[in-house]
Amino acid sequence: MTLRLNRLTLPVERMAEVLATREEDFARRMREARAWRRAYADRGATLREVAREANAAIPTEEPLDTVVPLPPIPERFTVIGADGSTIPPDRHGAALYYVINIGSLVYRHGSGETPEAHSIPHLGYTEEELFEGTTLVSGNLLDVRRDQAEVNHLAELVEQEPEGPTLALVDGTLLLWVLENLPLDTRKKKVQRYLDALTRVQKGKAAVAGFISRPRHAEVSRLLLLAHLDGNTEKVQEAERGRLPLPDRVIFADLPPGGRSALFTSPSSINHTYYEPAGHEVWFFYVNVAAEEEDPVIARIEVPVWVARSPDLLSLVHAGVVAQSRIAGGYPYALARADELAYISGPERQRLQEMVETALLRAGLMPSPSPKAFYKSMTRSGRRW
Amino acid sequence: MSEARIPVGRVLRASNRGFTVGCRVMQPDIPAFGSFVRADARAPEGAIYGLIYDVTIQDDLFVRRFVMVEPPEEVVRDQRENRQVPIEVSILAVGYRVGDHIVHGIPPQPPVTMDYLYPCTPDEIVDFTRRFDYFRLVLNAPGVPADELLATSLLAAAAARPAEERTDFLVEAGRELTRLLANDLIRLDNLLRRIRTAVGLQEV
Repeated sequence: MTLRLNRLTLPVERMAEVLATREEDFARRMREARAWRRAYADRGATLREVAREANAAIPTEEPLDTVVPLPPIPERFTVIGADGSTIPPDRHGAALYYVINIGSLVYRHGSGETPEAHSIPHLGYTEEELFEGTTLVSGNLLDVRRDQAEVNHLAELVEQEPEGPTLALVDGTLLLWVLENLPLDTRKKKVQRYLDALTRVQKGKAAVAGFISRPRHAEVSRLLLLAHLDGNTEKVQEAERGRLPLPDRVIFADLPPGGRSALFTSPSSINHTYYEPAGHEVWFFYVNVAAEEEDPVIARIEVPVWVARSPDLLSLVHAGVVAQSRIAGGYPYALARADELAYISGPERQRLQEMVETALLRAGLMPSPSPKAFYKSMTRSGRRW
Repeated sequence: MSEARIPVGRVLRASNRGFTVGCRVMQPDIPAFGSFVRADARAPEGAIYGLIYDVTIQDDLFVRRFVMVEPPEEVVRDQRENRQVPIEVSILAVGYRVGDHIVHGIPPQPPVTMDYLYPCTPDEIVDFTRRFDYFRLVLNAPGVPADELLATSLLAAAAARPAEERTDFLVEAGRELTRLLANDLIRLDNLLRRIRTAVGLQEV
């Protein structure tokens, strides 16, 4: 055993004490934030500009303390969930390749039909696929390709779907996270491809939403602080210094079961720079997806502006995520299954590696892992004491 | 061996004494306790015969979330038809075939991982049960509900025969059991009762 747990006993105890103190602080700040939400409910319009500067949630036309109850859940509607997973290139492996596996589930509510399950793997091995310039496609570059593949797959499924209310769901944010150290032109192209897929979903007359479970965002929290400090961003920075931001989900834990918060616009710079001009500006709301008489489960839902401005599509997203989340408890069933269909297990990785090695031998090549990989396979396969 | 019938599943792990196969829940021919099955042996035209003695549906945390509530029909169908939750079928090896010759005993080699396992045809069951030398293997098998397994498999073997031959077959099987279990009358009585009750015989 290399992790000496006895040396961690005291730090673990101390950590628990710190967390307990933080909870008390959060409870106090939560009460304040809820009071400000009521007090400054109608100050949204005056806060918009300064909120953008302060990287706080940007208010929309809805009052800040808006609560929209759960709309009627349609008898028949379709939810398509997609998710992806990857095997990054291993410089120490027998061959350089990556895998993107996209899983999806098409769930037709009220049909009694078996949902359609898809699992689509892609092996990237050519030099064009493996390198962007001189950089090996891994980390953020691979994550972006996975997100792109997810949304492309969603668009395809939406296009195949017969007419009727359809909700396309992704796990996580709709804002493509592309590292800022990439050349501007490259960033722009990547985001544009993602936005093109959102346009296909829009043309397919479906709604699209990003479901964020246990969100850590504190953008509404900062907006309320900003409102309380008369829009003074310096005072906000001063107040936030040295303490953890209060997560928005804590403030909205008072939403009734199925209810949603007001709509806000995401202050992310990528939203303003790329999404807004393309007509896909990302708005968001918080929703309590828990069933009646259960503890609140707060999720953040992101939608493009064309969904937010369409009462029918917005209502479909609201009702759809709640209906889906109540099947399995707190998380959309279609996304849970899409994750399962995308997941690449350890034994599957091992089997793929064996397939690659066998194929290399057949092709007359001798597979040779690096000395580091060879020794890792030895030290990590046996028992350790 | 070519086989038109739908396989029970593929071998997950194996030894000479028995093996386990995995199959999907919605298999059209759900494998049943006491059924005769066959896996292809390594030797050409060879086969390994076995009896199913346990069928286990594996535990699954995702399914657990739904068993306590009434899930929508779509979820039930998704769980049953789409999800790769295998049932594990355990088989006791009772014999093998080399060419046309059937041997009752432990096969010299087990089947290999991923080999298919097929249900035996009625003709194969009749061929295999022309003799009763495999009884001892079943009765002495550790960790197996041997008496239940033998009784159920005998009834399956009787059902594979024409109606007029079934009683004679079971009477012969009863005689062999009497010989093997002469020193354990309680066990013998229990086994004979099982066979008698199932076919409505007054006396074996």
